[in-house]
Amino acid sequence: MTENHSASGTQTQRHRLEGPQKHIIVFILSLVLTIIAFAAVAAGNVNKLFVIFLLLGMAIVQAFAQLAFWMHMKDRGHFFPIIAILGGVLVVIMLVALALLWTWW
Amino acid sequence: MSAHDHHAGALPPEPEKATLEGRNKILGFWLFLGAETVLFGTLFSAYLAFRNSVLDGPPPEELFQLPMTFIMTVALLVSSLTSVFAVQAMHRHKTGQMLGWMAVTIALGAVFLGLEIYEFNEYVHEGHRFTTSAFSSAFYSLVGFHGAHVAFGILWIGLLILQILKKGLTVVTAPKVYVSAIYWHFIDVVWVFIFTVVYLMGKV
Repeated sequence: MTENHSASGTQTQRHRLEGPQKHIIVFILSLVLTIIAFAAVAAGNVNKLFVIFLLLGMAIVQAFAQLAFWMHMKDRGHFFPIIAILGGVLVVIMLVALALLWTWW
Repeated sequence: MSAHDHHAGALPPEPEKATLEGRNKILGFWLFLGAETVLFGTLFSAYLAFRNSVLDGPPPEELFQLPMTFIMTVALLVSSLTSVFAVQAMHRHKTGQMLGWMAVTIALGAVFLGLEIYEFNEYVHEGHRFTTSAFSSAFYSLVGFHGAHVAFGILWIGLLILQILKKGLTVVTAPKVYVSAIYWHFIDVVWVFIFTVVYLMGKV
């Protein structure tokens, strides 16, 4: 998958450096998801609940791609980072669910 | 050419992970980001609870201007990409290129922050102050806290550029660059949820 860029000398020859391609793909994906989200809201007159779920879906996919590639969470040796962020996300889900239950019922 | 052979300018391929101190710094920073996730979660839950409590102030659908939010979003997204490029330049030991991408990152962060200050100023003129309603307090707490994180990131990366100009790229300075890039990406991920939950859902 990754190309071997050994431009900076002999010390990098045994180490595979990742190229920018994957990161540019994540950038384009993020930009497209953002544009879809803004367009869905700007269009108006669409089913409200459908738009809300679409927006959440776009945000979660974009966040996941950025965490995995830009923040290197897909790389090995990221067990504890995943635990830390998942633990945080778990608390956030509970907090948001609590806030919504509190105000909607 | 082993990984332990990093004297006299021969940096290892991933200088941020070359020392135990560097690896621990990155791990500790991830634990901090876990806590930051919870911090922003509390502000999001407060915003969601109070988003309809507008009292006499302007409601979200009148307040928010989507073109402005879109420009801010793109500025922050591009700055997140340039900070990836800074780390990739660091892995290639191209210090000058790395510093250049870091400078571009903080410049785009400054654009974002400038637009946010302009936006808040507009809102205040429209009668949307911090104490106007529960909605306005929750809005300024959440978005303002994110803006404060951007401001801190600009200061942090700016100081890192100065430090690397002085000390060069070493196994001591490399983890700092890596961790600041992770921080900047995190700030962008938080913004993804802010523009979705606050701005876009406020307009739905």
